[in-house]
Amino acid sequence: MRTKLGVLMAGLGLFCLTVPAVAHHGFDTEYDANKKFTFTGVVQKVEWLNPHMRVYVDVTDPAGKVTTWNMEMTSPNTVRRQGWGPKDLLPGEKVTFTTYGGKVVETRGSLVTIKRLSDGRELFVAGGPDASVPK
Amino acid sequence: MKSIRVISATALGLAVSLLVATHAQNRVTSLPAGGTPLLPDNLVNGPAPRLPDGHPDLTGPWLGGGSNADIEREGGLKPGELPLLPWAKTLRDGRKEQDEPYVACLPMSVPRMNPYPWRFVNSYTSKGLTEIYILHELGDAGAHRVVYMDGRKHPDDVFPTWYGHSIGRWEGDTLVIDTVGYNDKFWFDSRGTPHTDKLHTIERWTRPNYGTLIDEFTLDDTGAYSRTVQLKFTAKRVRPDVELMEDICTENNQAGIAGGYRLNSEQK
Repeated sequence: MRTKLGVLMAGLGLFCLTVPAVAHHGFDTEYDANKKFTFTGVVQKVEWLNPHMRVYVDVTDPAGKVTTWNMEMTSPNTVRRQGWGPKDLLPGEKVTFTTYGGKVVETRGSLVTIKRLSDGRELFVAGGPDASVPK
Repeated sequence: MKSIRVISATALGLAVSLLVATHAQNRVTSLPAGGTPLLPDNLVNGPAPRLPDGHPDLTGPWLGGGSNADIEREGGLKPGELPLLPWAKTLRDGRKEQDEPYVACLPMSVPRMNPYPWRFVNSYTSKGLTEIYILHELGDAGAHRVVYMDGRKHPDDVFPTWYGHSIGRWEGDTLVIDTVGYNDKFWFDSRGTPHTDKLHTIERWTRPNYGTLIDEFTLDDTGAYSRTVQLKFTAKRVRPDVELMEDICTENNQAGIAGGYRLNSEQK
């Protein structure tokens, strides 16, 4: 029950707090708001590239199969203005993240949250379905 | 018992979400769409600063002040009020967002403003203010929109371009920009609202206070609209430490792959 409540609250909180991730194109054309996943994995690559940043995280399932999630964020400039610099998330870092899946290529996601497990710091992402509004 | 628990959990969740929503609304002024920080509310109502030549300083940087998702709504009209000719309405309604040139990193043009900062740049020469450039952090695609302030007219033989040919003048504290010579390639919004190369726009920019910039926008296009349309957009001043940064859209544009309307190198 406690878990359910936590999930419910977290879900509502996230829903209310999300601001657009995809400011260059809409959320709905790329991502499925009904496909939301949370995983723990290891950062493979962080791309400070335009028009949108991308974070690649390797997730290993119980059978040992590794899936790389390629997740879109907002622009590097926006992330920079929110206080996240290039040294704050490096390859090899263990993270927990939540993402929406791609409509057609599921592992191409829209990142919603990402947290470093080393110190619990949650980095600015600004993700979610609200991204369908601005471009 | 279980149902009571669920109900109380839901109620608690909703209460929390309301608190969060209130919190989120408070955050909106400092963290709008796109995440660009805005001027704190207590500084918005200060006086608009003036340039050495006495005109209002409109430079910014600003956020918003144009169309983006739906020019009709964002320009202050009710649904259906935009007087599109039937063919233009059919074209708009049949367009898919992913087909917009802007998504492929082509210019967004006028009056579109994506959720990133932009600014006027006044170019003073020995002859005074001869040009104003309008720079957007993202959305110019390498172009630089220039507004000629030296009194020239539009050429008779202007050929269509993404930003057209703009001439400007001051009317009191209002910067008036008149533009013709647009191409018909860009969309006014991701909804797909079209225009033709007959498009003629008049922007009337005013800064009523420190934090606000208003564009009274005239859309004149007899090719796609049954009459001239008057729209109004409002831009907000970004936080003073926010400057325009480099943003090269074509660097790594992967738009379309996750959604399946463009293939990646692995053909998926």
